[in-house]
Amino acid sequence: MTEVLPDAQPAGTRQAETEPRYGVGERRKRFDALGRVRGTIRYTGDEANPPGTAFVGVHRSTAPHARIVAVHTEDALAIEGVLAVVTGRDLHEVLGDRIYTGPAFADQPCLAVDKTRFVGEAIAAVLATDPDIARAAADEIAVEYEELPPVYDIDDALRGEAFVHEELRPSSVFADLAHLHGVRGTNVNYEYRQILGDAAAERERAATTVSATTWAPPTHHVPIELPSTSAWVDSGRLEMLSTTQTPSYVRQTVSDLLDIPLSRVRIMTRPLGGSFGCKMYDRLEPLAAALAWTTGRRVRIDATREDAFLLTTRHGARVTGSMSADADGNIVAVTSDVRYDTGAFADVGPRIAAKSGLVAPGPYRIAAVDVRSRCIYTNKVSAGPFRGFGVPQVTWSHETLIDELARELGEDPYRFRRRHLLREGDIATVGTKMHSADFLTCIDEVTKAVGWDDPTPRGDGRWVHGKGVAVGMKAVLTPTIANATLNLNQDGSATLLISTVDMGQGSDTIMSQIVGEVLCLDSRRIHVVRADTDATPYDTITAGSRSTYHTGNAVRLVAEAMRSKLLGFAAERWGVPADELVLDAQGVVHEAKELRDSLPDLVRAKFGARGATVTTAENFTSWWVPYDHDTGLSEKVTEHWFAGAAAVRLAVDTWTGRIRTQHLAIAGDVGRAINPTLVEQQLTGAAIMGIGHTLFDEMVFDQGQITNATMLDYQLPSIKDLPEKLTPVIVESAHRDGPFGAKGVGETTILPIAPAYAGAVRDACGVRITTLPLTPERVLNHLADAADPGKAGR
Amino acid sequence: MSAGRVHRPETLEEATALLGELDDVMVYGGGTAIQILRKQGLLFTEDYVDIAGIPGLRDLTVTDDDITIGTLVPLRRVETDPRTRRLVPVAAAAYGQAANPRVRNTASAGGNIAHGDYRLDPPTALVVLDATVHLASAAGSREVAVREFFTDFQETDVRHGEMITAITVPRQPDGSRSSFVKMRSLSENDWPCASAAVLAVPEDGFVEIRMGLGAVAPTTVYLAFDVTPDMDEQQAVEAALDIADSVMDPIADIRGSASYKARLGRVAVEQAVRSSLKELSRD
Repeated sequence: MTEVLPDAQPAGTRQAETEPRYGVGERRKRFDALGRVRGTIRYTGDEANPPGTAFVGVHRSTAPHARIVAVHTEDALAIEGVLAVVTGRDLHEVLGDRIYTGPAFADQPCLAVDKTRFVGEAIAAVLATDPDIARAAADEIAVEYEELPPVYDIDDALRGEAFVHEELRPSSVFADLAHLHGVRGTNVNYEYRQILGDAAAERERAATTVSATTWAPPTHHVPIELPSTSAWVDSGRLEMLSTTQTPSYVRQTVSDLLDIPLSRVRIMTRPLGGSFGCKMYDRLEPLAAALAWTTGRRVRIDATREDAFLLTTRHGARVTGSMSADADGNIVAVTSDVRYDTGAFADVGPRIAAKSGLVAPGPYRIAAVDVRSRCIYTNKVSAGPFRGFGVPQVTWSHETLIDELARELGEDPYRFRRRHLLREGDIATVGTKMHSADFLTCIDEVTKAVGWDDPTPRGDGRWVHGKGVAVGMKAVLTPTIANATLNLNQDGSATLLISTVDMGQGSDTIMSQIVGEVLCLDSRRIHVVRADTDATPYDTITAGSRSTYHTGNAVRLVAEAMRSKLLGFAAERWGVPADELVLDAQGVVHEAKELRDSLPDLVRAKFGARGATVTTAENFTSWWVPYDHDTGLSEKVTEHWFAGAAAVRLAVDTWTGRIRTQHLAIAGDVGRAINPTLVEQQLTGAAIMGIGHTLFDEMVFDQGQITNATMLDYQLPSIKDLPEKLTPVIVESAHRDGPFGAKGVGETTILPIAPAYAGAVRDACGVRITTLPLTPERVLNHLADAADPGKAGR
Repeated sequence: MSAGRVHRPETLEEATALLGELDDVMVYGGGTAIQILRKQGLLFTEDYVDIAGIPGLRDLTVTDDDITIGTLVPLRRVETDPRTRRLVPVAAAAYGQAANPRVRNTASAGGNIAHGDYRLDPPTALVVLDATVHLASAAGSREVAVREFFTDFQETDVRHGEMITAITVPRQPDGSRSSFVKMRSLSENDWPCASAAVLAVPEDGFVEIRMGLGAVAPTTVYLAFDVTPDMDEQQAVEAALDIADSVMDPIADIRGSASYKARLGRVAVEQAVRSSLKELSRD
């Protein structure tokens, strides 16, 4: 499943100097590209089921908000092949309130205990000898509900009449939430404020103010690979194989849930077939652990496609904002009221509310801001992380505002943004200095690519044409922790142990490129071990585009430590100072004394054994200054910034409202591209996902129930929905502390897609749409309203 | 989901016998609709008669007058076969826009119409071409005009014990021109919100316009009218829209409101009529 490696070069030959090493900055295919395309990779769900495996079927709630009066399991238990039926109360008797898990709030029971909080919540689990029997038996479970007033949306939630949770229960993970413990009578579980200057007064004095209320609906990740978790007990230890981006987090959660030491929990992973944030934190894992632990059986839970829609979503978000300019066109004030619908469980919503709220004003020089960003419970499927971590929803607001402000002032949307964009050394509204976030080059490159100043076609009466541009700004999750352990093998190959999960983004490939660059090795000779908490060291999460920078730095450090160690071996052997030695592609060399040793010879000489290993371990931890209590400002809110831009030329069919993309250009500042091919693919992939979110991707709810949770009705971009031309542009403004200057890239270009499109629709036909997605019907309704004198100017 | 019993007869007689004897039974052709409906828990049929092993059902045969499509002929073949493209181009066009190539390679021509969904693309072409559906049962065989085949929402004229064996499609009349237009509201690969197959048949100075409309009413709709020599293209389009308006009764869902779907229906009709008439005037 990997590429066939060339035979090892004979030790000490000069020939190796000319061989490709696929180091930093070089294009290299993913090491597992062929296996992924041909299906020869073993994913989690491909693992064989040992005899005795109990398959789990889940009975799900049909009520959005209700007390559970009784769960009748007799009919399910009577079915042949059913081994056990477990309810939330059964688990609660054994595990107590530890059954409530979650990264921010301990609000998520793996099976509902006394009440259910959304249609689709897991109520009871059937263990059976066969997955079909398990599912059929789950259907035979009957639940008696006592209906409670439902909280369907943000407005219901803020009315304060019914509450999804009786009281807030912060988890132990985030210390800054401790003060919320025991708070009752609210559906708002977190609020972030950002206050800079006096936005109200500035707005009052301003010459021009534009306002907009934007809505971005919940969406689903739809990875190709469905979630799957197996768990079992071995010698008093809980072992698990799961589709997760967060093995270190899951290990801690299982340890807390079962009240056993971390050393008695093992979480194993396989490559993921896509995830985009949906396989993080508490998905199937707490239930699998609880069932395996309490029944002693090996259990396996496989989510169906329809189940997957009930596990997590992207946050729907409404933003009411304004942007004001003085008579000279300077931006003097931005206000932003951000409301994230987090559904029944907070999940990581409070973090999303803060990390997105802090960039809600946009990457501009702004005199005064007033941001209020809230995370709000409702009786819907829980929302969690999704590529972009809440930032696309606020970008949709600030880019709508600045585009409209530019038009109001009669200025070009590109040049108006350009004039106000943050530059190197500027202080963002949140109080943190900008570095390695080259918005200017990004916006210049994308507008140049689409021929921004070329005339826009006049159209044929039916089709009208337009152009749009937008930028997006995101802070990397900070602080976080990464560790790396490196084993150099005596033959000059290496084995890298990290807990980053490769889900198609290519992390294993670029991490080996970093090691290879430092140690002058062919990166194809470096193997990256799949995350396994018994072997690979702690890593906060594989998410938020943090791995290239954080884990990449740990990997750079561990390779540098290895280089020092190897030079030390040679120094000891030759009796020379280590600082006179150099490591190159042939090994260690002392130029003056003409001493040279290949790595295989050096390691063999040191230990006297073939196949010996040399080990180093390093840590990289980013740090921050917490938000000021009153203003939400911080002089270092993030380790680094992501800067991206998109420009689009499109045509709108005024008969049908349909949008056809002629050219989409996207750019992201990645600091330094470790592997330009993979960077271009990430920029492109994020943009295509953004096109779906822009044009039709949406989870539709009716009274708390999802109505399109199947692949027949849930829409994703197909090959035919892609732009006629798509241009990814890599911008490299090196980060002073990044590994070789690099930063992450996975989310950068999903941020600006929707507002770039909406700006182009505005340009093409004069209507400003603030609700996503831009379905043809929505476009047409706006055109009709604009043509109706009674409704024009809304 | 129970596995369901699958029967694999090797002759038409065995198959029709099973269909007659079994109570809750369904013919299994390409399986593309059945598999999805079962997976979604919407179809609980106990017995399936898989007709893959019966000889002759996969044939596509041409005579001087018509073309007969065996029930198991994949949609993709109707789309790509040079004979269908030449003799019934509007059918080839409509079959070629159903779902996506993977589905078209698997889904069968008979199963497609048996599904009876009001949004199907192929029936719009079959009604304008006045195709005939061949049905077989233990009692014998019968033929039904496709224009009578779709009886109500998700319902067809296939009776208990019967199966579709073939569809016979008359050749497009000499000198006629056709067009198929499909409108989607969401992804380009999605079901249609409206579709229109139009066949323009010139005759003695008149042009007969035959229209098959999909997705805009509970069943596929067939309409026809004559363009008289005194009407120009615009008047012909307006006449077509008037008559189409009289039957449009779309179903609102996540793909759009009824009024939006009706609008797309009008656009599809206008495009298809204009395109057919333009082709005709070029001759």
